[in-house]
Amino acid sequence: MANQSGSVYGLTLLCPIVNDDRAVPSHDLQIREFLATLPTDERSPFALAPGTHMARLVVMDDVVYVGMPACEEHLKSKYLIFETNCDADIDAYFTGLARSIPEHLDAVWSHCTGYPGVRDLPAFLSYMKACQLETTFFFAAVNDKSVTDTLKALQTQRAVADFIATHPVPRGAAEAAATQREFVEFMRIVQAAPAPRPGLRPGSGANRRAIQTGGHNE
Amino acid sequence: MSNINGKVYAMNAITPMRPWKTWILRAFFFVLAHVKPLQADLVNLSFIQFARWVVIPRNRFPFLGKNQQPEELQYDYLLFFSNFNGTWNQYIDAFSAVLSKGLDLVWRWSEKFPGSVPVTPFKQYIARVQFDTDYYYTSYPQATANDVKAAHVVEDALESLGSHAASLSPEQFREAYLQFVMAVQSHLGSTGEAPTVF
Repeated sequence: MANQSGSVYGLTLLCPIVNDDRAVPSHDLQIREFLATLPTDERSPFALAPGTHMARLVVMDDVVYVGMPACEEHLKSKYLIFETNCDADIDAYFTGLARSIPEHLDAVWSHCTGYPGVRDLPAFLSYMKACQLETTFFFAAVNDKSVTDTLKALQTQRAVADFIATHPVPRGAAEAAATQREFVEFMRIVQAAPAPRPGLRPGSGANRRAIQTGGHNE
Repeated sequence: MSNINGKVYAMNAITPMRPWKTWILRAFFFVLAHVKPLQADLVNLSFIQFARWVVIPRNRFPFLGKNQQPEELQYDYLLFFSNFNGTWNQYIDAFSAVLSKGLDLVWRWSEKFPGSVPVTPFKQYIARVQFDTDYYYTSYPQATANDVKAAHVVEDALESLGSHAASLSPEQFREAYLQFVMAVQSHLGSTGEAPTVF
């Protein structure tokens, strides 16, 4: 199935945005205004819901005209694109979103045509699937690990680097026995440690870079 | 607009295609998906965490009724979404230098695609068909694709040694620990804040 690579699912939704001339501001602008207020770190709604590796929300205003001799054409609706790379089992993923972040989902998708709200879960699932596009080709660099697996692995990697820095390869039997004891204890601590919170960025407060830019030429 | 989160850049692009050409592209992707060695360059570039191409036939845009007007389009459209590490220029340069044949096979069916070499008109084309991300989230913003791969290598090696470390004699442990350090030493780079790009 092209939507899936290993245990990672590539979900693409294209949701038509309500086209109402009387709405001020327009519904697409209301979506953009709300998205601009959402945190993108560990406080992100996608960090609160389970199973999201990466996700993006994009308002697509129109298709692109590439110039003559191509024909110029335009969409009759604007669309909200939801692109996410998540742990497989799409029903469980949608249900997890609906249960974890219902207010966020309603705040965004209430501006989309036909959105039934998350209270009616079967209708919500049907709506999301009606907006789903089949992926033609999906690539995942690491496709056999869950979000939790990867967060734990990154945490373990840092811990191992620190352990090795303070525990060089032992020379004698006594030193080897001491290193062995400490390694076994280190293993116990590493395995018992909970996974870090998803979305967590290094630094905090004034140390965290506020502006996350990224124009075409950066 | 928020195309960057930590060390990852979100790119979106849409290009028009004549409907008959989309079937050629679908055939190419079918072969690419089923002949893994053909993905070697994509894998070896190693700065793409997730990428996807989606062909939308002109008559298959989601239609939900309720006052939505159905689309009337002449072209099918190719959507491209990428999550990559590094800057926009580095990404396009690397694509053009390493994957030019593959890229041309993907986008040559799109209208007005100039080819991925030379890179200047290629960048102009990408800039024209790209549109910005309004909200971008990643669970591990401090990590690149290589960081994630390396972390799993380290964890696998650690579990392998840890599963029997307690039962080894000190001398056996010394040898096993030496092998462990040699196996993971090139996978221990630290993660953290992305460098500022000027």
